[in-house]
Amino acid sequence: MISCTEFIPAYNELFKFLERRGGKDAVVKFWENLSDSFLTKLRDLAAKKGLTGCFEYWQNVLTEESADFRMTLDEENGLFEIRMRYCPSMGRLIETTHIEPYRFYCEHCDTLYRRVLEPLGFEYHIDLSSSRQAKCLITVRLPPARFKTKKPRKTKK
Amino acid sequence: MNTSSDKIKVLDCSAGDNEYLHKDFHGALCYIIKYLDEVYGAETLEEYLEQLAKSYYSPLIEKLKEKALPALENHWKDIFTREGGKFSLHYENNTLVLNVDECPAIAHLKKTGQFFTHRYCQTTVVVNKTICHEAGYDCTCQYEPGRGRCVQKFWKP
Repeated sequence: MISCTEFIPAYNELFKFLERRGGKDAVVKFWENLSDSFLTKLRDLAAKKGLTGCFEYWQNVLTEESADFRMTLDEENGLFEIRMRYCPSMGRLIETTHIEPYRFYCEHCDTLYRRVLEPLGFEYHIDLSSSRQAKCLITVRLPPARFKTKKPRKTKK
Repeated sequence: MNTSSDKIKVLDCSAGDNEYLHKDFHGALCYIIKYLDEVYGAETLEEYLEQLAKSYYSPLIEKLKEKALPALENHWKDIFTREGGKFSLHYENNTLVLNVDECPAIAHLKKTGQFFTHRYCQTTVVVNKTICHEAGYDCTCQYEPGRGRCVQKFWKP
């Protein structure tokens, strides 16, 4: 059994494997497929509860991943953000000295979550400028015209 | 959780606050298997797992060469204990036997109603075989797909 504690290196090595076969396009295609098929919990929570659903989803995931972060939900201003002080995934890859982090590793968080949240009407932004230090900032907003109603758009899925 | 006002919810966690154990990663691995099988074919999945075993598990391969079967015994004890699996380890002559009575990965996926592929246990078969062959050992893994039970044996030919 590949332990869930060993998944991140397996994920990282998969990206390199796919890139060797089909370039970065093959990696992005996989991320898109994974977003569509695996991120149903986030999609359902965000569609049903809006930014509160985003908070609930990442509260569960980031505590189970033992992340070092500050997460803020400001419902009045239609804003949810995650300030990742030390990402458990990239952090582990940096600490695992016998394998190299895939050069575009952190971009999976852009593709996976953007693909779920933007079709639901959220604005999604991720700042990866410090990702090589295992830090990033994710911001999810409801457009001003919508956050006053506090209702997410219904998803077709 | 820190709530600074009625309208703003804050969750601030440090890395040591929670245990690193995100079992939904087993579900993500199932999607990886499905994706590689469907898009590239079964042989590609095996090729990926072989490369993963040779790269990420290279320290375990070296330990197996240096310390023989106790290296594998410690590895299994560590990950199955951490994940709460029901298992036992013993030696039959010079063969290390790992009896898994309840695979924690399969148990989690079934309990949470997540997608499970019957090809999941091939990850164990291929990764074990590659680690052992690289170190000059041999192994078997007997399982019935989806049951969450298996018997794994390891020996030096």
